Amino acid sequence: MTVARLIDVHKTYMVGRVRVPAVRGVTLDIEHGAFMSIAGPSGSGKTTILNLLGALDTPTSGTVQIGDGTTDGLSLKTLADFRNTHLGFVFQTFNLIPVLTVRENVDFPLQLQGIGNKRERNERVMKILQEVGLGDLVDRRPTELSGGQQQRVAVARALVKGPRLVLADEPTANLDSETAGEIMALMQMMNEKHGTTFIFSTHDPLVMERASRLVRLHDGRVASDEGGNGGRHAS
Amino acid sequence: MLAESIPGRLRPLTILQLGWRNLRRNRRRTWITATTVALAVLLVQVAVSLLIGIEQQSFDNLINYQTAHAKLYAEGYFANRDELPLDYTLTGLDELQATIRGVRGVAATTPRLSFSAQVSNGVDLYACIGVGIQVTGSDHDVFRIPQAVVDGEYLKSGEDGLLMGTGLAELFGVDTGDWVTVLTKTQAGAYEALDLPIVGLVGTGNPLIDRNSFLVPLEIAQYMLGLEGAATELAIRFSPTARDDETIAEITRAVQDLRQLDVKGWREMEEDFMALVRVKRTGQGVFLLIFIVLAVVGITNTILMASFERTREIGMMMAMGLRGSGIRELFLTEGALTGLLGGALGSLVAVAITAYFATVGLDLTAMYGDMDIGYPVKDTIYPAVNIAVLVASWLLTGVLAALASFYPAARASRHIPVEALRHV
Repeated sequence: MTVARLIDVHKTYMVGRVRVPAVRGVTLDIEHGAFMSIAGPSGSGKTTILNLLGALDTPTSGTVQIGDGTTDGLSLKTLADFRNTHLGFVFQTFNLIPVLTVRENVDFPLQLQGIGNKRERNERVMKILQEVGLGDLVDRRPTELSGGQQQRVAVARALVKGPRLVLADEPTANLDSETAGEIMALMQMMNEKHGTTFIFSTHDPLVMERASRLVRLHDGRVASDEGGNGGRHAS
Repeated sequence: MLAESIPGRLRPLTILQLGWRNLRRNRRRTWITATTVALAVLLVQVAVSLLIGIEQQSFDNLINYQTAHAKLYAEGYFANRDELPLDYTLTGLDELQATIRGVRGVAATTPRLSFSAQVSNGVDLYACIGVGIQVTGSDHDVFRIPQAVVDGEYLKSGEDGLLMGTGLAELFGVDTGDWVTVLTKTQAGAYEALDLPIVGLVGTGNPLIDRNSFLVPLEIAQYMLGLEGAATELAIRFSPTARDDETIAEITRAVQDLRQLDVKGWREMEEDFMALVRVKRTGQGVFLLIFIVLAVVGITNTILMASFERTREIGMMMAMGLRGSGIRELFLTEGALTGLLGGALGSLVAVAITAYFATVGLDLTAMYGDMDIGYPVKDTIYPAVNIAVLVASWLLTGVLAALASFYPAARASRHIPVEALRHV
């Protein structure tokens, strides 16, 4: 089952008066449960593809389809609601809210989903924090955690609302190789356990090895698209 | 359409919690901004307390020395009262007083006889207002003249003498114990002159009394004017719990069958002064509002800086699905909380300062000398704390602070998530 699809997507930015094409005619089908890596050198269009799939940006031409809907012509407000409903994000720099505790950071997207029952929210928050191994650190602030722990919180925050798709932009770039391996193992475990679709950008070969599918980009185009050994088999 | 049922907003409690914690991120900046607001609120609160105190003392002064709570006049007198006419007098005073004293809410009554006179110290001659007061029995039950005697003593019934306003005595260059000649015209038009000793000086803080008036026993005034048993007005003091309007209405009902009489409350008698008070209140209110507005403008800058520093965080929140309106609410809340924090600090210090001066008083002569500040008050004024005004101005500060945050909050809410996330 296809969870997301890019159809002949182009994205061109204007830098001053210069047109800079970031993505040039990419077509991709992403199957449910995929653990997919988008790889490529800097400037190859990895982040742009993730932004388009994450409804953070809209294509210059072509179609971005998530589930049954497309992002074509949606207002900023509707795009926000769309992300709220369908998507989870993990950022390279963790991007946790520093004034909130671990528990409150993970609770944040549930509040945005309009789940008013605090008990229900708390149960879901505690369950996911236990799964990512942070059950004992729920009342700590992000500044009291290591980089790896912060990224675990970010993964929990992305997964707590049960999104169709989790997008991770170079999630291990700010971590040492051991911690990076732990985070990838965690995401892989969540992918296998819950069937959540993960798409992550990277240029780290060790991370690519874990993907069930590896898409390589070059100059905004798909250079190769091949299966991998890691992750859950897509359906 | 996608995701119509998803709110994309935070709960109000979460916004408050997040806003409050965000203020603590840069404590020094928050405190500097809040202190600016606090200083403005402090100044405004103290100024308002002083003005309320001055107003209250002015009203008390008018009631205690000039108007009482109400006065009863013969029909026609009130319209011509500035000319101090002797053609509209009250008679049958005992019966009238008995009737009025029977009205619920009336504590005391006293007759007075006001007249125009000229007073001479042997060299100069000045026109002024003479007031005949009932020394024994009732005037001091209605007015507070005995407490205003600053030199000499109060009048004694049956003894010749007059009490002179301090300003008038200074103008004449006379003092307690000196003799002056009082020249009046009787109702029939005949001149009458009487030499009287000054038995005391009265300083009420009310320019009409202090600079223009002298007081004599009622029987002397009646004798000089040829109006035995008559008065121009019956002054009435209400009991402390009485409501002015209701009591005036009761008095009006009580006397309507007796004869043609006018009952006037003190606010109606001092219509011009009350209008002036209203104008002053508006002017002072606008001035003080401008002062607070200037103070809260600092909040605009603080919120602008905070939103700039947290651009990536805004992008992240938007990426997770928080709508622009949610971002706007968050920064408006932070602005309002800064204003409320500053307002609370300023209000607390203002209450302490006001409470101190409400006890010891504030000596106006030290600030203004003998200058007329436009209110009939004595040298020392006592500021008054009005809790309703205090709370209202505190809340107003919060609202103005939120308004001052509107521009930076709206600017933050218009971020494009992908651009905000790229912000360094």
